[in-house]
Amino acid sequence: MLHELGFGGMLFSPLVVFVPIAFALSFVSRLVLHQLDLRRLIWKEAWFDVGLFVCYLAAVVYLYESWT
Amino acid sequence: MGKLLRVGVTLAVVAVAIVAGIWVWNYYLYSPWTRDGRVRADVIIIAPDVSGWVTQLAVRNHQKVNKGDLLFTIDDTRFIPQIAEAEALVEQKRVAWELAKHQDRRRRLLPARQVISEEDLDIYRIQAEAAKASYDLALAQLNSARIDLQRTRVVAPESGTISNLTLREGNYVTRATSVLSLVKKNSFYVTGYFEETKLQLVHVGQAARIRLMGDSRTLSGKVTSIAKGIADINTNGNQQLLPEVQQTFNWVRLAQRIPVDIELEPVPEDVNISAGMTVSIYLEHE
Repeated sequence: MLHELGFGGMLFSPLVVFVPIAFALSFVSRLVLHQLDLRRLIWKEAWFDVGLFVCYLAAVVYLYESWT
Repeated sequence: MGKLLRVGVTLAVVAVAIVAGIWVWNYYLYSPWTRDGRVRADVIIIAPDVSGWVTQLAVRNHQKVNKGDLLFTIDDTRFIPQIAEAEALVEQKRVAWELAKHQDRRRRLLPARQVISEEDLDIYRIQAEAAKASYDLALAQLNSARIDLQRTRVVAPESGTISNLTLREGNYVTRATSVLSLVKKNSFYVTGYFEETKLQLVHVGQAARIRLMGDSRTLSGKVTSIAKGIADINTNGNQQLLPEVQQTFNWVRLAQRIPVDIELEPVPEDVNISAGMTVSIYLEHE
């Protein structure tokens, strides 16, 4: 279930937490793809990156939902 | 071939992202959840029914009390003589009534009715009735004085916990002025403020999952009622009774929030719950 997340007395909307997680994941993927030299398989890098970020966000929300 | 693969991979990711994005949007914005819920409880505000000094305070702050337990007593010095006075008055009125009855009876039994006029007979009968009424009045006053004496002992009307006790022995308490509050036992419930955009997804009887702020345990509950009204400040009148219509932004409108009451299922013993705590509420889909 979605619920408010608290860190040290500060309360955050769950999305405020999910977005940085998704961002970090996209950043890591980007680094990994770059290391593996797979980024040449991408046609429009910006589209790909934004799409990947949204996918990660949805995955984080979904996983969090089923975890709690 | 390589070009096709490149375009295909990108478009596939974008297509998945669109579907996932729509799901997240709908889930986040239109599922019936709110992080704006509060724990509430039935609070009984206790006021003494008589005025006087507090002679004995039988409870401490945040103490649990059972129904009928003594909370505090008010000085009864004034009430005891009041009862004696009322009793004396009852006796006086009773004797007066006896006398009036006697006079009435005697006159009615006079053998020669010609010695007394009809009017006098009526007067004595009515005097006897008036004396009876005075006697009843005195009895009622005595009862009232006894009730006052009883009410110098203030007892808990329900089981619960004393809250925010500032009353001390020696304070002068005034009739009908509240002096302490009692949070009724097991009366906790949750009120969630749901945005009107989500209100159509809320139904009476719907199961709810509730999380206290900063606690990982989930409590469960059930929607019991949805408020049928909140104040509309546009209808407030000014001194000339003209409505104070608020100016608005043309593009942005904030959703109103409607209170929804949720009954809590029994809370585990080790969960501390207090009225006023913040909770997140998630309602199950039907």
